Amino acid sequence: MENDVNKLTKEDFVSAQMVKWCPGCGDHFIIASLESILPQLGKKKEDLLVISGIGCSSRSPYYVNTYGFHGIHGRALPIASGAKIANPNLSVWVTTGDGDCLAIGGNHFIHCLRRNMDIKVILYNNQIYGLTKGQYSPTTPMGKITKTSPMGTIEEPFNPGELAIGAGGTFFARALDVNPKLQMEVMLAAAKHKGTAFMEVLQNCVIFNNGAHAYINDKEFKADRQIHLEDGKPMLFGKNMDKGLKLCKNSTKLEVVTLGENNITIDDILVHNPHQEDRGVHLMLAQMKAPEYPVAMGVIRDVDKPVYSELLEGQIAEAKQKTKFHCVQDLLNSGNTWNVE
Amino acid sequence: MGELRLMKGNEVLAEAAIRAGVDGYFGYPITPQSEVMETLMLRKPWEETGMVVLQAESEVASINMVYGGAACGKKVMTSSSSPGYSLMQEGISYLAGAELPCVIINVSRGGPGLGTIQPSQADYFQVTKGGGHGDYHVIALAPNSVQEMSDFMTLAFDLAFKYRCPAVILSDGAIGQMMEKVYLSDFVPRRTEEQIRKDCGEWCTLGSKRHNVITSLELDSVVMEQRNIALMKKYAEMQKEARYEAYMTDDADYLFVAFGTASRICKKSIEMAREKGIKAGLFRPITLYPFPTKALYEIGTKMKGILSVEMNAGQMVEDVKLAVECKVPVEWAGRNGGIIPSPDEVLEALETKIIGGK
Repeated sequence: MENDVNKLTKEDFVSAQMVKWCPGCGDHFIIASLESILPQLGKKKEDLLVISGIGCSSRSPYYVNTYGFHGIHGRALPIASGAKIANPNLSVWVTTGDGDCLAIGGNHFIHCLRRNMDIKVILYNNQIYGLTKGQYSPTTPMGKITKTSPMGTIEEPFNPGELAIGAGGTFFARALDVNPKLQMEVMLAAAKHKGTAFMEVLQNCVIFNNGAHAYINDKEFKADRQIHLEDGKPMLFGKNMDKGLKLCKNSTKLEVVTLGENNITIDDILVHNPHQEDRGVHLMLAQMKAPEYPVAMGVIRDVDKPVYSELLEGQIAEAKQKTKFHCVQDLLNSGNTWNVE
Repeated sequence: MGELRLMKGNEVLAEAAIRAGVDGYFGYPITPQSEVMETLMLRKPWEETGMVVLQAESEVASINMVYGGAACGKKVMTSSSSPGYSLMQEGISYLAGAELPCVIINVSRGGPGLGTIQPSQADYFQVTKGGGHGDYHVIALAPNSVQEMSDFMTLAFDLAFKYRCPAVILSDGAIGQMMEKVYLSDFVPRRTEEQIRKDCGEWCTLGSKRHNVITSLELDSVVMEQRNIALMKKYAEMQKEARYEAYMTDDADYLFVAFGTASRICKKSIEMAREKGIKAGLFRPITLYPFPTKALYEIGTKMKGILSVEMNAGQMVEDVKLAVECKVPVEWAGRNGGIIPSPDEVLEALETKIIGGK
């Protein structure tokens, strides 16, 4: 593989494999964003690993020209954890979907976050099972009619961000598939984050769930139904950037206000701080649903906490330091020894 | 004879389940059998018979929902394909250990690992040899037509309840996906709670008011051994349920042994062989467990040679050799990785491996 890190370009990360995703699928955008940011990581191609489970999203390792691993349904995160622990020098990226990550892989997902493994996770959330052709997933909205819910689903969907932050996640970001600029912004922030960096990309499945995210992305709603959160900046949105978020008086709830109305000024608007450890506001931001609220985009949470592999290496170093045995000879000479004559 | 329809194998499994009076289906999508759950959902049996159809979050959840439903004495089932069946093995071992009846469908595909979505019979070992941990067996039925996909649903439940043992229908992607005419069974009403109490009251949670813990655990090894011995006794008793089809074996010199899709290929090969003056016949195990050992011994030992034709790398051939006690030459032929052998290939293998190999 090409080893001059500084000379790598996006094209170096595009594999020669034929892409089997449907024309118009949101997955094409996500993979293009990933290929675009990889040259900026300063990593050799052989030090990058893209891992997946099963599903449409999980075809990604074939298309990104790094080391790849097409794993087991739902098990990409344990496989990634094993790889990262075995070779801490690897930059490990997991591409997964709402079925793979949150249905069969739900258990592994929360434990990976809890451990804060140093893994980057991109969730392609199309709110449907695409590869098996249109059954509902754990993020399909309640009441949706699919092949396996002819009368509408009767299950409350997961909000992936809420789940991740609840499980102790240190990084959560969200982007839309059709917004490559924002995708690259969150992918680069994820790359810099130490620990499990979880990104949700709202992705459109043109065949089985077309327009699932249109309610927040159609031109007429877009400005009012999305808010791009940026570190240190007031939480403003809307066509004229005159709407904002503030905490309700006498309650722990966010409310949408308009600058200039009811004496609201810029000073009343919350300022985004993704680095604060307290989960409260981050959780509220992750939970926001249109049309009552704008859907939060960008880096919502980015908190510094000890990483599993560092703690593990620390324990190994400590054990090595305290031990009486520094080589096999020390071990053999320990306890009672005899000379056989 | 019941209603005549033209249907896909997977769709028939769903239709047959509703008609067999099944109480609950729990499944997770996987190719090439997702149509089983989709057809059930489309049919909305809950409106017709009250049957529950639920999409679980994984195959592990599906089999454990089956475990729970079976403990209530209900007719419950799941369906999956090879990788999903592997995931269910833990639950199947527990169901067998706790002696609970259920039906599990495996529309198998090529492996190992994620393998392929094309048809395969490489799950013969994992279905017939336990697959999960411990000394146990499951009843295994191998349909070779869409008609048998229908017929075996009732049979599987009957045997599962008769022996309080999980019953597996081992099909493959070809039979699951192909369309054939089928005479559907008549509707059997779901059992009432009174009937369940009467039939299963001894062990199910709808039964007596005495303290009854459904479990496969026994920490006292002496007692555990007795439980195992009782299970073995049950499996010995089950041997009489062995079923098979003998096709043109009366005058045959050579025998194909094949199940499922491979058996249909063999029938064509037999036709071609007989045109060439080679008298070939077919022995088709219908129950893979219990394996029709006695019948195969009687028919097989009269032959000059036997070819076990399988869509795998040679699995059932071991049981064929055991059945005929190696008294006649036994060889394997087949394709794997999701490829169905052609009738020419099978005939050629008979000529080179058995006839020419003597």
